Formats: sequence, C-alpha cells, structure tokens
Amino acid sequence: MPAKRTSLLLGEIQESFTMALTALTAHKLRSALTLLGVLIGVFSIIVVMTAMRVLERNVENNLSQLGSRTFAIQKWPEVQFGNNSDWEKYWRRKNITLELGETVEKKATLASAVGIEGTFWGGQIQTRYAKTAPTVQLLGETTGSFEARNWTVEEGRIFNDNDVDDARDVCVLGAALAKSIFPFGSPVGNELKINGINYNVVGILASKGASLGGNQDNFVIVPLTTALNRYGLRWNGLGILVQARNSAVYADCEEQVRGILRAARKVRPGAADDFELFSNDSLIEQFDKFTRAVRIGVVVVSSIALLAAGVGIMNIMLVSVTERTREIGVRRAVGAKRRNIMGQFIMEAVVLCEIGGVIGVVLGILGGNILAWFMKVPPAVPMDWIVLGLLICSIVGVIFGTYPAYKAANLDPIESLRYE
Amino acid sequence: MKFVAEIREGLGISWNALISNKMRSALATLGIIIGIVTVTLMGAAINGLNQAFIKNVSALGADVFYVSRFKWFNNTYEDWLSMRKRKPLHLVDAEALSKQLTLAAVVVPAISDNDSVKYKTRSASSVDIIGTTDGYLQTSGGDIAQGRFLTAADGRGNQPICIIGNDVATNLFRGENPIGQRIRIANQSFQVIGVLGKQGNLLGWSLDNRVIIPIREFLSGIWNGQLDDIEVKAGKLANLDDAQNELRQVMRRIRHLRPDQADDFAINQQDQLVAWFHSQTATIAVIGLFITSLALFVGGIGIMNIMFVSVVERTREIGVRKAIGAKRRTILLQFLIEAACICCFGGLIGLGIAWLATLAVTQWLFPASLSAGIVIIAVIVSLLTGVVAGFLPAWRAARMDPVEALRSE
Repeated sequence: MPAKRTSLLLGEIQESFTMALTALTAHKLRSALTLLGVLIGVFSIIVVMTAMRVLERNVENNLSQLGSRTFAIQKWPEVQFGNNSDWEKYWRRKNITLELGETVEKKATLASAVGIEGTFWGGQIQTRYAKTAPTVQLLGETTGSFEARNWTVEEGRIFNDNDVDDARDVCVLGAALAKSIFPFGSPVGNELKINGINYNVVGILASKGASLGGNQDNFVIVPLTTALNRYGLRWNGLGILVQARNSAVYADCEEQVRGILRAARKVRPGAADDFELFSNDSLIEQFDKFTRAVRIGVVVVSSIALLAAGVGIMNIMLVSVTERTREIGVRRAVGAKRRNIMGQFIMEAVVLCEIGGVIGVVLGILGGNILAWFMKVPPAVPMDWIVLGLLICSIVGVIFGTYPAYKAANLDPIESLRYE
Repeated sequence: MKFVAEIREGLGISWNALISNKMRSALATLGIIIGIVTVTLMGAAINGLNQAFIKNVSALGADVFYVSRFKWFNNTYEDWLSMRKRKPLHLVDAEALSKQLTLAAVVVPAISDNDSVKYKTRSASSVDIIGTTDGYLQTSGGDIAQGRFLTAADGRGNQPICIIGNDVATNLFRGENPIGQRIRIANQSFQVIGVLGKQGNLLGWSLDNRVIIPIREFLSGIWNGQLDDIEVKAGKLANLDDAQNELRQVMRRIRHLRPDQADDFAINQQDQLVAWFHSQTATIAVIGLFITSLALFVGGIGIMNIMFVSVVERTREIGVRKAIGAKRRTILLQFLIEAACICCFGGLIGLGIAWLATLAVTQWLFPASLSAGIVIIAVIVSLLTGVVAGFLPAWRAARMDPVEALRSE
C-alpha cells in the first residue's frame, strides 16, 4: 500500500513537472522575463560571495608565510581588525627577549625548529651596482627561523649557529632584492652595505612571488644577534616561531610552549597570557570574523532583489491562473484533486525560479572569478553558497507561487468550465 | 493642443486599466516600491554618514591652517621618510609667524604628549596633554564649561595651571568641583583653572580626554621637543587664499628657504580631511548603490512583463482604437503612460516608506538623512524605470497590424 502511494505521488510530481515545462515554453518571453528577476537576485548573491571567497584566498596566501605546523609568539597581535582599545594592554606587556626565545628553544621538546626573529627599521642597501630606496626591510633571524618560516635557499647557505653566536656581519637576501641590487652574476660571496655597514652575502632565498600588498621578497636577513647589537631591542620586542615535530603533536607543542612562556614570564595561574600565540588558522579565523558583517549585509541587500523578483513571479502566476481557468476546470472535471492543481502551479513557480537560479549561479561564479583572474589567485567555487542560493530560489518559488496556486485550486470547477 | 488631449486621454485609459486589474497593478507597484525603498535608503545612509562626518570635522574650522612638517594624507612611505628629515618647528617659529602675519587672526603653537593624569588616588591613563596658548580655543572650536581658559599672560608665562577636558573631569573628580584642585601630570602638580565643554569624537579620537597646559610649562616641565603644528586662523573667510599665500611666504622666510628650494613644511586644512573621507567612501557608495539598484531593475522587469501580458490581453482594444483612427504614437503613449503611472505611484509610496525608515534608522542605528536631491533623483529614476520598462511592450502594441489585431480572439 505505501509503495503504491509513493509511486502515485511520484507520478503526480512527474506529471506536474512536465506540465510546468510545457506551460513555460508556451510563453517564452514571459517566462524569460520572469526568471530574469530571480537570475539577477541569485547572481548578485553568488557574485559577491565568490569575490569574497577569492579575496579570502588571497589573504590566506599572504598570511601563510608560516607553515602549517608553525605558530608564532609575539607581544602584539599580528592583525587587529576594528577598534584598538586594547592597545594599552599590549603596550604594557613585557618585551619578548632573546633570552626568552633561547629558553623556549632549550625546553620545547616537541618542536622540530625554534626561530627567534625581529624586524628592524627599513634600511638602504648599497652595492657596487645599485642603491635601493631606504625602505628595504631588515630582519634579524636565528638559524631555526629558516625552517620555521618555510624559507628555502636557492643559492649559498643559511646562517649556521656560529654566525648567530658570534654576531657575524653576514646576510641572506630575498630573491627580488638580490636581483635588483646584483643584476650581474651571483651575489653570494659579495659585499654590500646596509645603512653604511659592510655585510657579506652568504645566501639567496627562493622567491615566494609577489602578492597584492607588493613584493614579498624585498628584505634582507642578518643574524639576530648582529641586528640587536647594532639597533637594539625595539619597542615591539621579538617574535618566536615554533615548528611542531609533526601535525599530531601540534596541539601538545602549543600547550608546552605556552607553559614554558608562562613559567618564564611568571604569569600567575588563572591570569591571562601576557603574549599572543597565533598560527595561520587563527589569523584566517580572525579575518573571517571581520568579514562576516560585510557578508551578512550583502546577502540581506541582495535578497531584496529576490523579494522584488518573487513579487513579479506572483503577479505573472496570477495572470497565468486566470488565463488557464478553462484548463483548470477541465482537469478538475476529469478528477484532478485540489492538491493536484495546487502542486501543478507551485511546481511551475519553482521550476521557473530554479532555471533562473541555475543561470544566476553560473554567471555569478564566472563574474566573481574575474577578480581571481585579475589578482592571479586560483578561482574559487563557493559550494555552500551555491546550494544555499538554489535553496533560496526554491523557497522564493514556493512562497510566491502558493497564493496563485491556492487561488487556482479553489476555483469552482463548474464556474471555470463555463469561463470564456 | 492635440498632444495634450492625447496625453489626457492616455491618462484616463491607463487609470481605468489599472483600476480594473487591482491585484495586478498592486503587485507591479509593490515591485517598484521595494526597489525604490532600498535605493533611497542606501542613498540616505550614505548621505547621512557624509553629513555626520562633515559635522564632525567642522570642529576644525574651515579657516584654520595647520602648519606642520607632515602632510596629512596621500603619503607614501618614501614621502614620509623624506618629510621626517625636515627641520622641526619650534616655539620661536610660531612667535615669528604671529609677528609677521598680517592677515591672520590668531597664531597658536601646539605640542602634545600622551600621559596619565592623577588626582589623589584616582588616575586616568593615556590622556592627551596639550601645551598651547590662549588662542587654542579659537582654532580648535571648543568652549569652557566651568572656570576660565588660558589668558594671553598664561600663554606667555609658565605657571603650573591646566584646563581639563570633560571626560577627564568626570573620571577624576566624580562630582567634586575640579576648579582649584591640584592634579599630577608627569609627576608635577598642576592647578585646575577650567573645564572644557563636551566636544565628542573626531574620527574616533575623543576630544574630551585631554588636558591643556601653557606651552612654556609643557616645554620646560614635560618634554622640550618640537611642536606638533602651528595653527593659524585666518582673519576673514573672504581672503582665505591670500591668508594661505601670505602664510606660505612668511614660513619660507622664517625657514630661510632659497627661491629654488621646495617648501620644507606642509600647510594642512580641514578640506583635505573631507576629500580624503570622500575618496574612502566613494567606492563603498558605488557598490552599495549598484547592488540596491539591482532590486529596482528587477522591479522594472516585473513591470515590463506585466505590460506585455496586458498588451496581449488588450489586442482587440488596440485594434479597435487603430481602426477608428488612433495613430501609432497615441497607442505608444497610452501604454507608456500606464507603465510610468505604476512606477511613479510606486516611487511616491516608496519614498514615503523610505522616509519613515530613515527616521527609524536615525533613531536607533546611525545617522541617515533624506535630502531633497535624493527625493528628486528617486522620483526621476522611478519615472525613467517606468518609461524604459514600458517602452518595449508599448512599441509592440503600437506596431500591431490593426486588421490582425481586430481578428484576434
């Protein structure tokens, strides 16, 4: 019995679907204009969401200088969105010093590499061939930083422990910088001047490419000890980079380092950390939180277009019910139930919406990915929003199709047969 | 004359058509209403935020020049590095300026620091400590709520006295009368002689969290450094350009610049701030208006669709009208008027709703304001939507062959 009922229901659905398609193709212009409204509404949602996803990708690319197993510790949060009312709280924190970094290096047993780093003022680099603007970033690093930061050497070598311990005047160049100041031949082994002081080039890093915010490779790295001797500890303190042995112990490693730092900085149990510990994921999460308000706003505004489209659908469905009064009368007369008539018209509205929705989704994805093409980021397809967009289409169809369908279903069969 | 009669007739026919299909007309109008409400609200929001901002910065005064080493905006890092090397401004520069300028009303040097302020056991952290002279009230546009401001003599001398901002007064004194009390700034004792009136925020920066002291007291007691800026208020609004030119020439003389040397100072003005703000909000405004106008566009499509239906339904009527001598133009006009009527009607209702919504938004969310310009644009846009959306159906109606149309069942 239930099986029979199911097949009956399926048959009804199939029937109303084909009827809907026939009715829609019978009035091509009318159907096209009606679904154009839905198309535009869905398009505007999907295009913005795709563009947002692409932007997100781009930010992720920019932030992911840290490897997946690496986290960083700083006095200041890496990114601050919105108000900076906590400024004073961060400002009051003790600096992270070289000694603290060394303590972590010694005690963090779950870490495969610990790097300590500091950024210093922009400097001017001078070689025999060229002189840069005084905006080249000067980074002080220890040996472990290279592994933790995912830096690979293209030529030459990274620092060894002796370079760092003896505070030698050596440096490693970013790829773009190396090309611009040593246009001819290999820079390794040559001398250059950073703010007037001689350094020996020992290595060149592999390029990480340019991103939105400019060139990523425009920096020079010197041993941290050398930089501290010359420029001192700046107000923002140093940063510590920790790479966990493997992803399985990542969480444990984070806890271990947190414990080491709290003990070393004498943070009381129960008190909040007096440092920021963050990874790629937490940065991306923060970005998401920041953009959430924007996304919600866009969806709300775009859905208003869908509302207008829904009103248009309702109007045209009412017209179509009036026009097909005789047809409805005939169907009722030969035994169609109210339910069947209702299903027929709602199905018509939903099919209309879905066709518009699918075209809108396709156009939206194409439109949003134009941005990806401009920014040279791999294209994004927001699957969740596609599903949601199509779902919203069906809902619009059902909501605005119900009243005309109800009207059609409640027509008196005798009256409607008599209708001219 | 004939044209007017045609329009009148068209209006009559459209009105009858709209009345005879009430539900249909209402729904078509609703689509337009939704579109107009969103577009108008977006416009009102942008307008309101702009106005709020301009009201906000008007505290700076349009006739005040801020002479400083740095330009306020459009700085690249390289610019900043080179401006950083410029000679600092000192109190003597301000004194020379005030002696040599003829078109200026007041010349006020200002220097500031960020420090905590203590009263007995209470303390307020990160308060702006501003060292200046008696003219500061004229350039920064504040008022005195209690006590007095610095006098000319205070500005020249270095007495340990201070005027505190409204927030500082409420935070430190909690209802006590601050006048005559002594507070500690940078471990020195200052006597409070006045309290400033409430001024609010400027770009999120509180103007009430400040303490003003005589500039010489600042330089001798807190930090003997360079001035932040020298604020020059022009005498008359009419000769603002002359005042600026004079200021520039005198500054160049004071800085001993040769004719071939570029200025090593910047003269900033409030309108730079306004221009910067507009450049920041323009993109947002364009995107916002574009997305909301999509709703209006969809509404227009709804009108077009229903007009097509209406043309088909009234084929016979069109045929009859044509047969007894109506021109193409008359038919075209009739349907255009019908579409324009729906849109105009929708536009007016939409404006009414948007007006109410604007009031509500201003009450609870953020300042929004509906200007006459927006209203006019909204009406024109809705009329235009009607004409554009109605044109194709009307054109189809006008082009109908009267014989075919009469024969249609």
